[in-house]
Amino acid sequence: MITLENVSKSYDHKHKVLKDIFLAIKPGEFVSIVGQSGAGKTTLVRLLIGEERADEGKVMIGDWDITRLRRREIPYLRRQIGVIFQDFKLLPKKTLEENVAFALQVCGEKSSKTKKIVPSVLKIVGLDDKRKRYPSEVSGGEQQRVAIARALVHQPKILLVDEPTGNLDAINANEIINLLLRINRFGTTVVLVTHNKEIVNRLNHRVITMENGQIISDRAHGKYLL
Amino acid sequence: MPSLYHIIKFSFQDIVRNIWLTIVTITILLLALFSINTLATVRLISDNAVAAIKEKIDISLYLKPETAESEIIALKNKIAASAKVKEVIYTSKQSAIVSFRAKYENDPTVLAALQELGRNPLSPSLTVIPKNFDESNLVINDLKMLDSSIIESRDFSDNSAILNKINNITKRVNEVGLVLIMIFVLTSLLVVYNTIRVAIYTHRQEIEIMRLVGASNSFIFMPYVFSALVYALVSILIIISIFYPFLTLLQPYLETFFMGYNVNILSYFVDNFFLIFGVQLLAVLVINIVASLFAVRKYAKV
Ligand SMILES: Nc1ncnc2c1ncn2[C@@H]1O[C@H](COP(=O)(O)OP(=O)(O)O)[C@@H](O)[C@H]1O
Ligand SMILES: [Mg+2]
Repeated sequence: MITLENVSKSYDHKHKVLKDIFLAIKPGEFVSIVGQSGAGKTTLVRLLIGEERADEGKVMIGDWDITRLRRREIPYLRRQIGVIFQDFKLLPKKTLEENVAFALQVCGEKSSKTKKIVPSVLKIVGLDDKRKRYPSEVSGGEQQRVAIARALVHQPKILLVDEPTGNLDAINANEIINLLLRINRFGTTVVLVTHNKEIVNRLNHRVITMENGQIISDRAHGKYLL
Repeated sequence: MPSLYHIIKFSFQDIVRNIWLTIVTITILLLALFSINTLATVRLISDNAVAAIKEKIDISLYLKPETAESEIIALKNKIAASAKVKEVIYTSKQSAIVSFRAKYENDPTVLAALQELGRNPLSPSLTVIPKNFDESNLVINDLKMLDSSIIESRDFSDNSAILNKINNITKRVNEVGLVLIMIFVLTSLLVVYNTIRVAIYTHRQEIEIMRLVGASNSFIFMPYVFSALVYALVSILIIISIFYPFLTLLQPYLETFFMGYNVNILSYFVDNFFLIFGVQLLAVLVINIVASLFAVRKYAKV
C-alpha cells in the first residue's frame, strides 16, 4: 500500500531531515511511528500527501509513484488519503456538520451525496447528536473526532494520523485510539504518528521508531523504545 | 468543477470581509480608467479641432471683375501646376452671387442692398487648396509673390499658428498621459495583486483545509479570479456612470470654445460606447486576472 525506497529529504539542501528511508506498509495494517520531536515523522507524513517532494528515492501509494506527481494530480491523491493533525484544523465559524460537509463541497460533490455521507461519518465517530454545534462548543476529543469524520468522507484507503492525541487528556486520547482501531478493522490502513508511550505499548501493533531522520527499529509487536 | 454557487459565495465573502481593501482596489482602478478616458477625450477634442480648422482653411485670390475668362483659366492652370497645390477652384462672378444670395436668403436688408446696387458687385475668385496642409504657409508665400495684373486682392486666413499650438498641446498631453496611464496600470496590477494576497491570507485556514481534503485547484483559485472579475466590472460600471455626466457638463464649454466648429465629444462616446468601454473592460480584466493568478499561484500554492 505504502512503499518508500531509499527516500531522502532536506529542507535546506544541507541537513537531511530524512535519510535513506526504506519502508513498506501493507493494506489494512495499523502502524505506529514513534520518535522524538524533530526526528522527521511529520516530514514523512507530508511526503505521503504530496505536500513535500523527496529529494531522492521513490514514494509509492498503491501503484502511484507520487514522487512524479504533477501539481494538478495532488487533489486526487488527497482524496484517497485521510489526514489528521494534532490541531484538528476545523473552521470555527462552521458547525461540526458543516465542517465535514465542507470537505465534500470543495471537491465539487453534489449536495445529494453530501447529505448522505455527512450523517453517516458523524455516526461512525459518535457525534451525530452534536452535529449542529460549533467546534468551540465541544471538547478537544470531540473536535478531533470531527476531524476524523471529515477525513473519512472520501472513504480513503489510508488514514495518516499525526499526533492526534497531543492536545488531549488520557481518556479522550484513548477514545480516539479506539476509534482509529475501529476504522482500521473496516479495512483502512492506519499510520499513527505519536509520542504517547502508553498508547503504543497498549496497541501491541507494528511500531517503527525514528531518530534523526532514520528508521532505527521496525518491530511487528513493538514497544515504545525511547 | 466546483459549482458556480460556491465560487460566487466564497468570492463575495472575500469582497465583504475585506471591504476597505475592495474600496481601495476599485478606487485605483477608477483612477486608471479616468485618466485613460480623459486622455482619450483630449485627443478626440484636438483631432476634431484640427480637422475642423483644416476644413476652414481659406487661401483665396480675388480677381478684377472685368477679367476675361481665358486669363483666369490661364492663371488657374499656372497655380495648379505647382507641386504643393492640390486643387484650384474657380468661382465665377455668377456663381459667387448665387452663393451670396443663398447665404443671405434670410437677411432681407442685405438682399435689398444688392437689389439697390443693380449689378453684380462681386469678384471672381480662385481658391487654392494645398496638397499637404502643413505646407500651406509655403503655398501662401508663393501666392504672395505671384505677380499678375488681374489679381485684385489676396485673402489668406493663415491658421497654421493656431494649429501648431493645438498640435503641441496634444503632444504634451499625450506624453504626460501615457506616463500617467503607465503608472496607473502598474499601480493597478500591484494593488489587485495585494488585494488578492490579503484575501488569500484571510482565508488561509480554509485554503489549508481545502488543500488537505483534496479540493480541486480550480475550486481554490476560482473565487479569487472571480473577485478580480467583480473588481473589473464594478470599476467599469462606475467609470461609465461618472464619465457620461462629466462629458455632459463638459460639452457646453467645448461648444463655446470651438464656436462654429462641429465638436461633439458626448455623441462620439455614445456612438462608440461598446468599442470604448469594451476595450477598457477587456484591458482591466486582463490586468486583474493576471495579477490574481500570480497572487494565487504564490500564496495559495495551487
Ligand atoms: N518546513 C520546514 N522547513 C525547514 N525545516 C523544517 C520544516 N519542517 C520541519 N523542518 C525540520 O525538519 C526536522 C524534522 O521535523 P519534523 O518532520 O516536523 O519532525 P517530527 O514531526 O518528528 O517532530 C526538524 O529539524 C525541523 O526543524
Ligand atoms: Mg511532528
